[in-house]
Amino acid sequence: MENVIGHVNWIGLWTIIRREMQRLLRVPIQAFVAPWLSALMFIFIFGYVVGPRIATIGGHKYLQFVLPGILMMNVVNAAFLQATSQVYFQRFMKFVEEALVAPLSYVEMIVGTLAAVVFRTAATAVGILIIAAVFGGVQVVSVVEFMFWVVIVSGIFGLLGIVIGLWAKSFEQLSALNIFFITPLSFVGGVFNTVEMLPPFLRWLAWGNPFFYFINGLRHSMIGFNEAPEPLGALLSLAMLAILSVWVWRLFSVGYGLRE
Amino acid sequence: MTPALSVSNLRKVYRGGTVAVDDLSLAVEEGDFFGFLGPNGAGKSTTIHCITGIATVTSGTIKVFGIDAVKDYRKARSLVGLSPQEFNVDVFATPVQIVDWVGGYFGIPSAERKKRIDELMERFDLTEHVKKPFRALSGGLKRRVILARALIHKPKLLILDEPTAGVDVELRLDLWRYLGELNRDGTTILLTTHYLEEVERLCRNIAIVAKGKIVRQGPKEEFLAGGGIEGAYLAATGATPDHIAAGAA
Repeated sequence: MENVIGHVNWIGLWTIIRREMQRLLRVPIQAFVAPWLSALMFIFIFGYVVGPRIATIGGHKYLQFVLPGILMMNVVNAAFLQATSQVYFQRFMKFVEEALVAPLSYVEMIVGTLAAVVFRTAATAVGILIIAAVFGGVQVVSVVEFMFWVVIVSGIFGLLGIVIGLWAKSFEQLSALNIFFITPLSFVGGVFNTVEMLPPFLRWLAWGNPFFYFINGLRHSMIGFNEAPEPLGALLSLAMLAILSVWVWRLFSVGYGLRE
Repeated sequence: MTPALSVSNLRKVYRGGTVAVDDLSLAVEEGDFFGFLGPNGAGKSTTIHCITGIATVTSGTIKVFGIDAVKDYRKARSLVGLSPQEFNVDVFATPVQIVDWVGGYFGIPSAERKKRIDELMERFDLTEHVKKPFRALSGGLKRRVILARALIHKPKLLILDEPTAGVDVELRLDLWRYLGELNRDGTTILLTTHYLEEVERLCRNIAIVAKGKIVRQGPKEEFLAGGGIEGAYLAATGATPDHIAAGAA
Protein backbone atom coordinates (compact mmCIF):
# COMPACT_ATOMS: atom_id res chain seq x y z
CA MET A 1 0.00 0.00 0.00
CA GLU A 2 1.69 3.13 -1.23
CA ASN A 3 -0.15 5.52 1.12
CA VAL A 4 0.63 3.67 4.33
CA ILE A 5 3.38 5.47 6.22
CA GLY A 6 5.18 3.64 9.02
CA HIS A 7 2.57 0.85 8.95
CA VAL A 8 -0.20 3.35 9.72
CA ASN A 9 -2.85 4.28 7.16
CA TRP A 10 -2.91 7.93 8.31
CA ILE A 11 -5.31 9.09 5.61
CA GLY A 12 -7.66 6.23 6.49
CA LEU A 13 -7.43 7.02 10.19
CA TRP A 14 -8.11 10.71 9.61
CA THR A 15 -11.05 9.77 7.37
CA ILE A 16 -12.68 7.78 10.19
CA ILE A 17 -12.43 10.85 12.44
CA ARG A 18 -13.45 13.35 9.74
CA ARG A 19 -16.43 11.24 8.72
CA GLU A 20 -17.71 11.05 12.27
CA MET A 21 -17.27 14.81 12.74
CA GLN A 22 -19.33 15.37 9.58
CA ARG A 23 -22.01 13.03 10.94
CA LEU A 24 -22.08 14.90 14.25
CA LEU A 25 -22.48 18.21 12.47
CA ARG A 26 -25.64 16.79 10.90
CA VAL A 27 -27.15 16.41 14.39
CA PRO A 28 -25.74 19.38 16.39
CA ILE A 29 -28.80 19.73 18.64
CA GLN A 30 -28.64 16.13 19.76
CA ALA A 31 -24.85 16.00 20.01
CA PHE A 32 -23.97 19.36 21.54
CA VAL A 33 -26.93 21.60 22.34
CA ALA A 34 -28.73 18.98 24.48
CA PRO A 35 -25.87 18.46 26.98
CA TRP A 36 -25.11 22.19 27.07
CA LEU A 37 -28.75 23.00 27.79
CA SER A 38 -29.00 20.28 30.44
CA ALA A 39 -25.81 21.60 32.11
CA LEU A 40 -27.15 25.14 31.92
CA MET A 41 -30.26 24.05 33.85
CA PHE A 42 -28.16 22.29 36.51
CA ILE A 43 -25.85 25.28 36.84
CA PHE A 44 -28.77 27.71 37.03
CA ILE A 45 -30.60 25.69 39.70
CA PHE A 46 -27.52 24.95 41.80
CA GLY A 47 -25.78 28.25 41.20
CA TYR A 48 -28.72 30.60 41.67
CA VAL A 49 -31.64 28.80 43.24
CA VAL A 50 -30.35 26.09 45.61
CA GLY A 51 -26.69 27.05 45.90
CA PRO A 52 -27.00 30.26 47.93
CA ARG A 53 -29.01 28.34 50.59
CA ILE A 54 -26.28 25.71 51.06
CA ALA A 55 -23.24 26.33 53.21
CA THR A 56 -19.84 26.19 51.56
CA ILE A 57 -18.19 22.77 51.18
CA GLY A 58 -14.50 22.73 52.04
CA GLY A 59 -14.51 26.51 51.63
CA HIS A 60 -16.03 26.35 48.13
CA LYS A 61 -19.36 27.70 46.91
CA TYR A 62 -21.86 24.94 46.14
CA LEU A 63 -21.77 25.74 42.40
CA GLN A 64 -17.99 25.31 42.40
CA PHE A 65 -18.38 22.00 44.26
CA VAL A 66 -21.11 20.64 42.00
CA LEU A 67 -19.71 21.83 38.62
CA PRO A 68 -17.03 19.08 38.28
CA GLY A 69 -19.73 16.47 38.90
CA ILE A 70 -22.03 17.99 36.27
CA LEU A 71 -19.10 18.18 33.87
CA MET A 72 -18.09 14.57 34.51
CA MET A 73 -21.67 13.31 34.07
CA ASN A 74 -21.79 15.00 30.67
CA VAL A 75 -18.34 13.76 29.66
CA VAL A 76 -19.40 10.18 30.53
CA ASN A 77 -22.69 10.51 28.65
CA ALA A 78 -21.12 12.15 25.60
CA ALA A 79 -18.38 9.50 25.40
CA PHE A 80 -20.74 6.58 25.83
CA LEU A 81 -23.41 7.88 23.45
CA GLN A 82 -20.86 8.82 20.82
CA ALA A 83 -19.23 5.38 20.77
CA THR A 84 -22.46 3.37 20.94
CA SER A 85 -24.19 5.42 18.25
CA GLN A 86 -21.15 5.44 15.97
CA VAL A 87 -20.63 1.68 16.15
CA TYR A 88 -24.27 0.61 16.27
CA PHE A 89 -25.41 3.01 13.53
CA GLN A 90 -22.69 1.65 11.22
CA ARG A 91 -23.72 -1.92 11.98
CA PHE A 92 -27.44 -1.22 11.73
CA MET A 93 -27.12 0.41 8.30
CA LYS A 94 -24.34 -2.02 7.30
CA PHE A 95 -21.93 0.68 6.16
CA VAL A 96 -19.41 -0.69 8.61
CA GLU A 97 -18.63 -2.93 5.63
CA GLU A 98 -17.05 0.11 3.93
CA ALA A 99 -14.35 0.04 6.60
CA LEU A 100 -14.12 -3.75 6.74
CA VAL A 101 -13.26 -4.09 3.04
CA ALA A 102 -10.70 -1.26 3.22
CA PRO A 103 -7.03 -1.56 4.19
CA LEU A 104 -7.64 -0.37 7.76
CA SER A 105 -6.21 -2.19 10.77
CA TYR A 106 -8.31 -2.97 13.85
CA VAL A 107 -6.18 -0.54 15.86
CA GLU A 108 -6.82 2.25 13.34
CA MET A 109 -10.57 1.60 13.53
CA ILE A 110 -10.53 1.66 17.35
CA VAL A 111 -8.28 4.74 17.58
CA GLY A 112 -10.41 6.56 14.98
CA THR A 113 -13.57 5.82 16.95
CA LEU A 114 -11.96 6.97 20.21
CA ALA A 115 -10.61 10.15 18.61
CA ALA A 116 -14.18 11.05 17.57
CA VAL A 117 -15.26 10.32 21.15
CA VAL A 118 -12.63 12.67 22.55
CA PHE A 119 -13.62 15.37 20.02
CA ARG A 120 -17.26 15.18 21.16
CA THR A 121 -16.48 15.10 24.89
CA ALA A 122 -13.99 17.96 24.55
CA ALA A 123 -16.56 20.07 22.69
CA THR A 124 -19.18 19.22 25.33
CA ALA A 125 -16.79 20.07 28.20
CA VAL A 126 -15.65 23.37 26.66
CA GLY A 127 -19.27 24.43 26.12
CA ILE A 128 -20.17 23.65 29.73
CA LEU A 129 -17.11 25.52 31.02
CA ILE A 130 -18.13 28.57 29.00
CA ILE A 131 -21.69 28.39 30.41
CA ALA A 132 -20.33 27.98 33.94
CA ALA A 133 -17.96 30.91 33.43
CA VAL A 134 -20.98 33.12 32.79
CA PHE A 135 -22.25 32.09 36.26
CA GLY A 136 -18.81 32.64 37.79
CA GLY A 137 -18.31 28.99 38.74
CA VAL A 138 -15.20 28.05 36.80
CA GLN A 139 -11.89 27.38 38.44
CA VAL A 140 -9.19 25.00 37.23
CA VAL A 141 -6.33 24.44 39.66
CA SER A 142 -4.41 22.00 37.44
CA VAL A 143 -5.01 22.02 33.69
CA VAL A 144 -2.89 18.87 33.19
CA GLU A 145 -4.85 16.95 35.80
CA PHE A 146 -8.12 18.26 34.33
CA MET A 147 -7.12 17.06 30.85
CA PHE A 148 -6.01 13.71 32.27
CA TRP A 149 -9.45 13.04 33.77
CA VAL A 150 -11.43 14.23 30.76
CA VAL A 151 -9.35 12.15 28.31
CA ILE A 152 -9.08 9.01 30.50
CA VAL A 153 -12.79 8.94 31.34
CA SER A 154 -13.66 9.64 27.67
CA GLY A 155 -11.49 6.66 26.74
CA ILE A 156 -13.07 4.36 29.33
CA PHE A 157 -16.65 5.17 28.33
CA GLY A 158 -15.75 5.32 24.65
CA LEU A 159 -14.39 1.76 24.87
CA LEU A 160 -17.37 0.62 26.92
CA GLY A 161 -19.64 2.22 24.31
CA ILE A 162 -17.83 0.31 21.55
CA VAL A 163 -18.44 -2.98 23.42
CA ILE A 164 -22.14 -2.19 23.81
CA GLY A 165 -22.36 -0.95 20.22
CA LEU A 166 -20.92 -4.27 19.01
CA TRP A 167 -23.11 -6.36 21.31
CA ALA A 168 -26.49 -4.63 20.95
CA LYS A 169 -29.10 -6.18 18.69
CA SER A 170 -31.62 -3.37 19.16
CA PHE A 171 -31.86 0.30 20.16
CA GLU A 172 -33.43 -0.90 23.42
CA GLN A 173 -30.30 -2.86 24.35
CA LEU A 174 -28.16 0.09 23.30
CA SER A 175 -29.58 2.31 26.03
CA ALA A 176 -29.88 -0.36 28.78
CA LEU A 177 -26.42 0.17 30.33
CA ASN A 178 -26.93 3.92 30.40
CA ILE A 179 -30.34 3.69 32.06
CA PHE A 180 -29.57 0.97 34.62
CA PHE A 181 -25.92 1.60 35.50
CA ILE A 182 -24.30 4.77 34.20
CA THR A 183 -26.96 7.31 35.25
CA PRO A 184 -27.70 5.80 38.72
CA LEU A 185 -24.01 5.25 39.52
CA SER A 186 -23.06 8.76 38.48
CA PHE A 187 -25.80 10.23 40.71
CA VAL A 188 -24.59 8.31 43.79
CA GLY A 189 -20.93 8.90 42.88
CA GLY A 190 -20.74 12.30 44.53
CA VAL A 191 -22.01 14.71 41.88
CA PHE A 192 -24.13 16.65 44.36
CA ASN A 193 -22.76 15.62 47.74
CA THR A 194 -19.66 14.61 49.67
CA VAL A 195 -19.30 11.06 51.00
CA GLU A 196 -19.72 12.47 54.51
CA MET A 197 -23.21 13.67 53.64
CA LEU A 198 -24.30 10.09 52.98
CA PRO A 199 -25.58 8.04 55.94
CA PRO A 200 -22.69 5.78 57.10
CA PHE A 201 -24.46 2.60 55.99
CA LEU A 202 -24.72 3.98 52.41
CA ARG A 203 -21.13 5.23 52.06
CA TRP A 204 -20.14 2.05 50.23
CA LEU A 205 -22.20 3.42 47.32
CA ALA A 206 -19.42 5.97 46.88
CA TRP A 207 -16.31 4.03 47.92
CA GLY A 208 -17.19 1.03 45.73
CA ASN A 209 -18.30 3.17 42.79
CA PRO A 210 -15.81 4.04 40.02
CA PHE A 211 -17.77 7.23 39.24
CA PHE A 212 -16.85 8.55 42.66
CA TYR A 213 -13.14 8.37 41.75
CA PHE A 214 -13.70 10.01 38.35
CA ILE A 215 -15.70 12.88 39.86
CA ASN A 216 -13.31 13.20 42.79
CA GLY A 217 -10.33 13.37 40.42
CA LEU A 218 -11.91 16.05 38.25
CA ARG A 219 -13.06 17.98 41.32
CA HIS A 220 -9.51 17.92 42.69
CA SER A 221 -8.16 19.25 39.37
CA MET A 222 -10.70 22.07 39.39
CA ILE A 223 -11.04 23.25 43.00
CA GLY A 224 -8.42 21.20 44.88
CA PHE A 225 -11.07 19.39 46.95
CA ASN A 226 -10.29 15.73 47.53
CA GLU A 227 -12.09 12.94 49.37
CA ALA A 228 -10.01 9.90 48.33
CA PRO A 229 -6.33 9.14 47.71
CA GLU A 230 -5.91 10.44 44.18
CA PRO A 231 -3.32 7.86 43.01
CA LEU A 232 -5.89 5.17 43.81
CA GLY A 233 -8.45 6.79 41.48
CA ALA A 234 -5.86 7.32 38.74
CA LEU A 235 -4.59 3.74 38.99
CA LEU A 236 -8.13 2.34 38.98
CA SER A 237 -8.97 4.41 35.89
CA LEU A 238 -5.80 3.43 34.02
CA ALA A 239 -6.43 -0.23 34.86
CA MET A 240 -10.00 0.02 33.53
CA LEU A 241 -8.72 1.71 30.38
CA ALA A 242 -6.11 -1.01 29.82
CA ILE A 243 -8.57 -3.88 30.39
CA LEU A 244 -11.20 -2.34 28.12
CA SER A 245 -8.58 -1.61 25.42
CA VAL A 246 -7.49 -5.26 25.32
CA TRP A 247 -11.11 -6.41 25.35
CA VAL A 248 -12.11 -4.14 22.46
CA TRP A 249 -9.00 -5.06 20.46
CA ARG A 250 -9.87 -8.73 20.95
CA LEU A 251 -13.49 -8.18 19.85
CA PHE A 252 -12.31 -6.40 16.69
CA SER A 253 -9.71 -9.05 15.92
CA VAL A 254 -12.29 -11.87 16.04
CA GLY A 255 -14.82 -9.70 14.21
CA TYR A 256 -17.39 -9.86 17.03
CA GLY A 257 -20.49 -7.97 15.93
CA LEU A 258 -18.65 -6.74 12.85
CA ARG A 259 -17.95 -9.62 10.52
CA GLU A 260 -20.35 -12.41 9.57
CA MET B 1 1.34 -16.29 -13.83
CA THR B 2 -0.08 -15.63 -10.34
CA PRO B 3 -3.89 -15.73 -10.46
CA ALA B 4 -5.77 -12.56 -9.60
CA LEU B 5 -7.84 -14.62 -7.18
CA SER B 6 -7.20 -18.04 -5.82
CA VAL B 7 -9.60 -19.67 -3.38
CA SER B 8 -8.59 -23.07 -1.99
CA ASN B 9 -10.80 -25.39 0.04
CA LEU B 10 -12.81 -22.50 1.45
CA ARG B 11 -15.27 -23.46 4.15
CA LYS B 12 -17.57 -21.04 5.94
CA VAL B 13 -19.77 -22.17 8.79
CA TYR B 14 -21.96 -19.53 10.43
CA ARG B 15 -22.64 -19.38 14.15
CA GLY B 16 -25.49 -21.78 14.61
CA GLY B 17 -23.90 -24.36 12.34
CA THR B 18 -25.17 -23.40 8.87
CA VAL B 19 -22.59 -24.44 6.29
CA ALA B 20 -22.70 -21.69 3.66
CA VAL B 21 -19.56 -22.61 1.72
CA ASP B 22 -18.15 -26.12 1.70
CA ASP B 23 -14.67 -26.90 0.37
CA LEU B 24 -14.94 -24.40 -2.46
CA SER B 25 -11.93 -23.85 -4.73
CA LEU B 26 -11.61 -21.60 -7.74
CA ALA B 27 -9.00 -19.58 -9.58
CA VAL B 28 -9.53 -16.39 -11.57
CA GLU B 29 -6.69 -15.50 -13.91
CA GLU B 30 -5.43 -11.93 -14.15
CA GLY B 31 -7.40 -10.00 -16.79
CA ASP B 32 -10.29 -12.47 -16.78
CA PHE B 33 -13.99 -11.60 -16.76
CA PHE B 34 -15.31 -14.35 -14.56
CA GLY B 35 -18.96 -15.28 -14.07
CA PHE B 36 -19.80 -16.70 -10.65
CA LEU B 37 -23.29 -18.15 -10.88
CA GLY B 38 -25.68 -20.02 -8.64
CA PRO B 39 -29.14 -19.96 -7.15
CA ASN B 40 -30.08 -17.76 -4.17
CA GLY B 41 -28.46 -19.10 -1.00
CA ALA B 42 -25.87 -21.14 -2.94
CA GLY B 43 -22.94 -19.41 -1.23
CA LYS B 44 -21.93 -16.79 -3.82
CA SER B 45 -22.26 -13.74 -1.58
CA THR B 46 -20.71 -15.58 1.37
CA THR B 47 -17.69 -16.48 -0.78
CA ILE B 48 -17.39 -12.83 -1.82
CA HIS B 49 -17.73 -11.72 1.79
CA CYS B 50 -14.90 -14.08 2.79
CA ILE B 51 -12.69 -12.72 -0.01
CA THR B 52 -13.31 -9.09 0.94
CA GLY B 53 -13.23 -9.43 4.75
CA ILE B 54 -16.92 -8.91 5.50
CA ALA B 55 -17.10 -12.50 6.72
CA THR B 56 -14.53 -14.51 8.65
CA VAL B 57 -13.11 -17.65 7.06
CA THR B 58 -13.73 -20.95 8.89
CA SER B 59 -10.98 -22.78 6.96
CA GLY B 60 -9.18 -22.68 3.63
CA THR B 61 -7.06 -20.02 1.98
CA ILE B 62 -7.80 -16.99 -0.19
CA LYS B 63 -5.10 -15.21 -2.16
CA VAL B 64 -5.46 -11.98 -4.11
CA PHE B 65 -2.62 -11.62 -6.64
CA GLY B 66 -0.68 -14.09 -4.48
CA ILE B 67 -1.29 -12.13 -1.24
CA ASP B 68 -3.01 -13.97 1.60
CA ALA B 69 -6.34 -12.18 2.19
CA VAL B 70 -6.44 -13.19 5.86
CA LYS B 71 -2.82 -12.96 7.04
CA ASP B 72 -1.86 -9.94 4.93
CA TYR B 73 -5.35 -8.51 4.71
CA ARG B 74 -4.42 -4.83 4.35
CA LYS B 75 -2.31 -5.40 1.26
CA ALA B 76 -4.88 -7.77 -0.25
CA ARG B 77 -7.82 -5.43 0.37
CA SER B 78 -6.08 -2.48 -1.23
CA LEU B 79 -6.26 -4.42 -4.54
CA VAL B 80 -9.96 -5.28 -4.40
CA GLY B 81 -13.06 -3.20 -5.12
CA LEU B 82 -16.48 -4.47 -4.11
CA SER B 83 -19.92 -3.51 -5.35
CA PRO B 84 -22.20 -5.44 -3.01
CA GLN B 85 -25.70 -6.65 -3.61
CA GLU B 86 -27.17 -4.54 -0.78
CA PHE B 87 -26.89 -0.77 -0.43
CA ASN B 88 -24.56 -0.75 2.58
CA VAL B 89 -24.18 3.03 2.88
CA ASP B 90 -24.98 5.92 5.17
CA VAL B 91 -28.26 6.86 3.50
CA PHE B 92 -28.13 10.42 4.86
CA ALA B 93 -24.81 11.14 3.14
CA THR B 94 -24.39 12.51 -0.38
CA PRO B 95 -22.82 10.55 -3.27
CA VAL B 96 -19.65 12.65 -3.04
CA GLN B 97 -19.31 12.04 0.72
CA ILE B 98 -19.84 8.30 0.30
CA VAL B 99 -17.19 7.96 -2.39
CA ASP B 100 -14.83 10.41 -0.67
CA TRP B 101 -14.89 8.55 2.66
CA VAL B 102 -14.12 5.21 1.04
CA GLY B 103 -11.35 6.83 -0.99
CA GLY B 104 -9.94 8.10 2.30
CA TYR B 105 -10.15 4.64 3.86
CA PHE B 106 -8.05 3.38 0.96
CA GLY B 107 -5.42 6.01 1.74
CA ILE B 108 -5.88 8.17 -1.38
CA PRO B 109 -4.54 11.71 -0.80
CA SER B 110 -7.08 14.53 -0.82
CA ALA B 111 -6.23 16.18 -4.18
CA GLU B 112 -6.06 12.87 -6.02
CA ARG B 113 -9.31 11.76 -4.39
CA LYS B 114 -11.13 14.90 -5.46
CA LYS B 115 -9.99 14.51 -9.07
CA ARG B 116 -11.03 10.86 -9.10
CA ILE B 117 -14.44 11.65 -7.55
CA ASP B 118 -15.11 14.27 -10.24
CA GLU B 119 -14.23 11.72 -12.93
CA LEU B 120 -16.51 9.07 -11.41
CA MET B 121 -19.44 11.44 -10.84
CA GLU B 122 -19.23 12.44 -14.47
CA ARG B 123 -18.74 8.86 -15.70
CA PHE B 124 -21.84 7.66 -13.89
CA ASP B 125 -23.98 10.76 -14.67
CA LEU B 126 -24.19 11.70 -11.02
CA THR B 127 -22.99 15.29 -11.38
CA GLU B 128 -26.44 16.84 -10.96
CA HIS B 129 -27.18 14.63 -7.95
CA VAL B 130 -24.02 15.18 -5.90
CA LYS B 131 -25.75 17.26 -3.22
CA LYS B 132 -28.73 14.95 -2.71
CA PRO B 133 -28.73 12.47 0.16
CA PHE B 134 -28.41 8.84 -0.96
CA ARG B 135 -31.89 7.98 0.30
CA ALA B 136 -33.42 10.56 -2.08
CA LEU B 137 -31.91 8.93 -5.18
CA SER B 138 -33.68 6.48 -7.49
CA GLY B 139 -32.69 2.79 -7.50
CA GLY B 140 -30.58 3.18 -10.61
CA LEU B 141 -28.73 6.22 -9.26
CA LYS B 142 -28.08 4.42 -6.00
CA ARG B 143 -26.52 1.54 -7.93
CA ARG B 144 -24.28 4.01 -9.77
CA VAL B 145 -23.05 5.47 -6.46
CA ILE B 146 -22.20 1.98 -5.24
CA LEU B 147 -20.23 1.30 -8.42
CA ALA B 148 -18.41 4.63 -8.20
CA ARG B 149 -17.50 3.80 -4.60
CA ALA B 150 -16.09 0.41 -5.66
CA LEU B 151 -13.91 2.07 -8.30
CA ILE B 152 -12.51 5.04 -6.35
CA HIS B 153 -9.15 3.36 -5.70
CA LYS B 154 -8.83 1.81 -9.19
CA PRO B 155 -8.87 -1.78 -7.93
CA LYS B 156 -7.00 -4.49 -9.86
CA LEU B 157 -9.75 -6.97 -8.97
CA LEU B 158 -13.34 -5.75 -9.15
CA ILE B 159 -16.03 -7.89 -7.54
CA LEU B 160 -19.58 -7.15 -8.61
CA ASP B 161 -22.36 -8.85 -6.69
CA GLU B 162 -25.48 -8.52 -8.85
CA PRO B 163 -24.61 -5.02 -10.09
CA THR B 164 -27.52 -4.74 -12.51
CA ALA B 165 -30.30 -5.95 -10.20
CA GLY B 166 -33.14 -3.45 -10.39
CA VAL B 167 -31.54 -1.07 -12.89
CA ASP B 168 -33.14 0.06 -16.14
CA VAL B 169 -32.12 -1.17 -19.57
CA GLU B 170 -30.23 2.01 -20.41
CA LEU B 171 -27.97 1.82 -17.35
CA ARG B 172 -27.50 -1.90 -17.83
CA LEU B 173 -26.24 -1.41 -21.37
CA ASP B 174 -24.07 1.51 -20.32
CA LEU B 175 -22.66 -0.52 -17.46
CA TRP B 176 -21.87 -3.45 -19.73
CA ARG B 177 -19.96 -1.12 -22.03
CA TYR B 178 -18.05 0.38 -19.10
CA LEU B 179 -17.21 -2.98 -17.58
CA GLY B 180 -15.95 -4.16 -20.96
CA GLU B 181 -13.68 -1.08 -21.14
CA LEU B 182 -12.38 -1.63 -17.61
CA ASN B 183 -11.64 -5.27 -18.38
CA ARG B 184 -9.86 -4.37 -21.62
CA ASP B 185 -7.76 -1.89 -19.63
CA GLY B 186 -6.58 -4.74 -17.38
CA THR B 187 -9.04 -4.90 -14.47
CA THR B 188 -9.94 -8.44 -13.52
CA ILE B 189 -13.68 -8.75 -12.90
CA LEU B 190 -15.64 -11.32 -10.93
CA LEU B 191 -19.36 -11.00 -11.59
CA THR B 192 -22.31 -12.65 -9.92
CA THR B 193 -25.66 -12.21 -11.57
CA HIS B 194 -28.94 -13.96 -12.24
CA TYR B 195 -29.06 -12.54 -15.78
CA LEU B 196 -27.51 -15.26 -17.92
CA GLU B 197 -27.58 -12.93 -20.94
CA GLU B 198 -25.15 -10.72 -19.05
CA VAL B 199 -22.80 -13.65 -18.47
CA GLU B 200 -22.99 -14.74 -22.07
CA ARG B 201 -22.18 -11.24 -23.25
CA LEU B 202 -19.41 -10.34 -20.80
CA CYS B 203 -17.70 -13.34 -19.22
CA ARG B 204 -14.91 -15.55 -20.53
CA ASN B 205 -14.94 -18.15 -17.75
CA ILE B 206 -17.78 -19.37 -15.59
CA ALA B 207 -18.18 -21.24 -12.32
CA ILE B 208 -21.50 -22.49 -10.99
CA VAL B 209 -21.96 -22.91 -7.28
CA ALA B 210 -24.73 -24.87 -5.56
CA LYS B 211 -25.12 -25.71 -1.87
CA GLY B 212 -21.74 -24.14 -1.11
CA LYS B 213 -19.76 -26.18 -3.65
CA ILE B 214 -18.53 -25.53 -7.18
CA VAL B 215 -20.55 -27.89 -9.35
CA ARG B 216 -19.24 -26.85 -12.75
CA GLN B 217 -16.43 -24.64 -13.95
CA GLY B 218 -14.89 -23.84 -17.33
CA PRO B 219 -14.61 -21.48 -20.30
CA LYS B 220 -17.86 -19.96 -21.56
CA GLU B 221 -17.47 -21.76 -24.91
CA GLU B 222 -17.75 -25.12 -23.17
CA PHE B 223 -21.07 -24.08 -21.67
CA LEU B 224 -22.32 -22.73 -24.99
CA ALA B 225 -21.26 -25.84 -26.88
CA GLY B 226 -23.19 -28.04 -24.45
CA GLY B 227 -26.57 -26.45 -25.16
CA GLY B 228 -26.21 -22.98 -23.70
CA ILE B 229 -25.54 -21.45 -20.30
CA GLU B 230 -29.12 -21.79 -19.10
CA GLY B 231 -29.27 -25.53 -19.73
CA ALA B 232 -25.85 -26.04 -18.12
CA TYR B 233 -26.87 -23.91 -15.16
CA LEU B 234 -30.13 -25.76 -14.56
CA ALA B 235 -28.46 -29.16 -14.92
CA ALA B 236 -25.59 -28.22 -12.64
CA THR B 237 -27.81 -26.83 -9.92
CA GLY B 238 -30.14 -29.82 -10.09
CA ALA B 239 -33.12 -27.90 -11.44
CA THR B 240 -33.64 -29.21 -14.99
CA PRO B 241 -35.99 -27.38 -17.42
CA ASP B 242 -38.31 -30.42 -17.15
CA HIS B 243 -38.53 -29.92 -13.38
CA ILE B 244 -39.39 -26.27 -13.84
CA ALA B 245 -41.98 -27.00 -16.52
CA ALA B 246 -43.55 -29.65 -14.28
CA GLY B 247 -43.55 -27.24 -11.35
CA ALA B 248 -45.18 -24.50 -13.41
CA ALA B 249 -47.89 -26.89 -14.63
